[in-house]
Amino acid sequence: MGWVAMQESVMYLHGMVFLLGAAHTLRVNEHVRVDIFYRTFSPEKQAKVDIFGSLVLLMPVNLFIFFISFDYVVSAWKILEDSQEAGGIPGVFLLKSLILAFSFTMVLQGVAEVIANFLKISQQKQLNKEVAK
Amino acid sequence: MEYLALVMFLAVCLVLLLGYPVAYSLAGTALIFAGVGALFGVFDTSYLQAVPSRLFGIISNQTLIAVPLFVFMGVMLEKSQVAENLLIAMGQVFGRLKSGLAISVVLVGMLLAASTGIVGATVVTMGLLSLPTMLKQGYSPSFASGAICATGTLGQIIPPSIALVLLGDVLSSSFQQAQLNMGIFSPESVSVGDLFVGALVPGMLLVAMYLLYVLIFASKQIDSSLNKNINNEPISSIGLFSALFPPLVLIITVLGSILGGFATPTEAAGVGASGSLVLALINKKIDIQKLKDVMMSTTKVTSMVFLILIGASIFSLVFRGFGGEELIEELFANLPGGVFAAVLLVMVVIFLLGFILDFIEITFVVVPLVAPVLLAMGIDPIWLGIMIAVNLQTSFLTPPFGFALFYLRGVAPPEVKTSDIYRGVTPFIVIQLILLACLALWPNLVTWLPSLL
Repeated sequence: MGWVAMQESVMYLHGMVFLLGAAHTLRVNEHVRVDIFYRTFSPEKQAKVDIFGSLVLLMPVNLFIFFISFDYVVSAWKILEDSQEAGGIPGVFLLKSLILAFSFTMVLQGVAEVIANFLKISQQKQLNKEVAK
Repeated sequence: MEYLALVMFLAVCLVLLLGYPVAYSLAGTALIFAGVGALFGVFDTSYLQAVPSRLFGIISNQTLIAVPLFVFMGVMLEKSQVAENLLIAMGQVFGRLKSGLAISVVLVGMLLAASTGIVGATVVTMGLLSLPTMLKQGYSPSFASGAICATGTLGQIIPPSIALVLLGDVLSSSFQQAQLNMGIFSPESVSVGDLFVGALVPGMLLVAMYLLYVLIFASKQIDSSLNKNINNEPISSIGLFSALFPPLVLIITVLGSILGGFATPTEAAGVGASGSLVLALINKKIDIQKLKDVMMSTTKVTSMVFLILIGASIFSLVFRGFGGEELIEELFANLPGGVFAAVLLVMVVIFLLGFILDFIEITFVVVPLVAPVLLAMGIDPIWLGIMIAVNLQTSFLTPPFGFALFYLRGVAPPEVKTSDIYRGVTPFIVIQLILLACLALWPNLVTWLPSLL
């Protein structure tokens, strides 16, 4: 292990931060939205937009990333791909695996979002019924 | 089939307005189009095979590592109350002048822009601390909120800024591509450092124009019956020193190491991030819990930025798969008026998109599409970058989707109406358009300093 490996470790840490942090950021709802209209929606309508988005946009994209990257990552594992620099970290295959980890955690969080938003809607309906009584 | 690329662009704009996170609105809509296009045989799916290597390119991009580092530095400085100390110290110095408070807001905004560069944090801090004082001193709500919003966005253009890091990365690959298309096989390069240097003069000019506006108009905007010079306490030179010294040292080490050629922007960002941690330790403003908070918000901001980058790169692959690049090239080639008209068109489009989109989306989605064509016309890449950066800065100020306006709305007292904020920023948007016109007339304002180094 030398200076090259140390420099590369920054890249590994950096990759882990945003690829593994993305799902958590979705959970706490800090991904940027164009919310000119979204802001004015009722909570129920917001939940519907989120269900639609999770099913039609988020999940297909991440499933697509997962399956199209699968062979790419597998072929890196087959040769246990090394760094291109001499003295680099011999773990490029691990770095590439982060792409799969990223899309997998995003799909999981997408499922969680759908369930959470359905719950939100049914609770809202319950509330409305009670108010009507 | 090229018009399909255009239809897709419009469809994405509509989906974005639904309000689902931007990254997935971009990538999801593009994938749906790609799928339908592939079914009808009008989309070449081999473009999508490039997705994994694009993603790995994003991970292993050295320049972009500067982003989390600069974010960390900004959040750390925010949590260690550098802004508060600066505002209090500057208020003491300029408190004697009639329009002193407005002047100190602009100057503090400039210093924060050069040290933290986080628009939200700057606007919120100044909105909490300065806005109530300004209102108490009789400034009209629209003038006070306009000045705070506008100076808060200076972080976009004054280096080191995250916007310039992202823009520099996109421009450098566009520049390579443009030169290859022109048949130059030993292409010159443009770096984030070049953009930083090029942004110095325009940034200072913008601050000077803000100051001029504040000096001329502040006195008209102040209700004199309320504006008594309450602030006559003596200036404590130790207080002033301890407020000014930390951010100045950071600015000098970060910018100096880039300008002096000792460090790449990424390395300088590392220096800034550790420097901010050291300053927070010296000021005893940090403990484990706060450090955790800082790292947590750095992670979230970084994930947000890079997820948009991932979404935008899928979008642009599909856009190219539909032949969108040829469409844009044809459009520019048939445009009457040559280079000038092309730049003007791009600037107007970016300005208009700025009303609904944020600078990150525009940088990742629009710039890679138009920059190669413009650069192939022989435009200086640094000049183009700064023009785009100043233009994008206005996207923070333009209602209804200006981030700076949201942030201020969030902390402003209820007697400041939203319409006051909108009216207050209008003159500053005009100032920025004037700066753009100046840069267009005298490109030397941008290119002079980089040519010296």
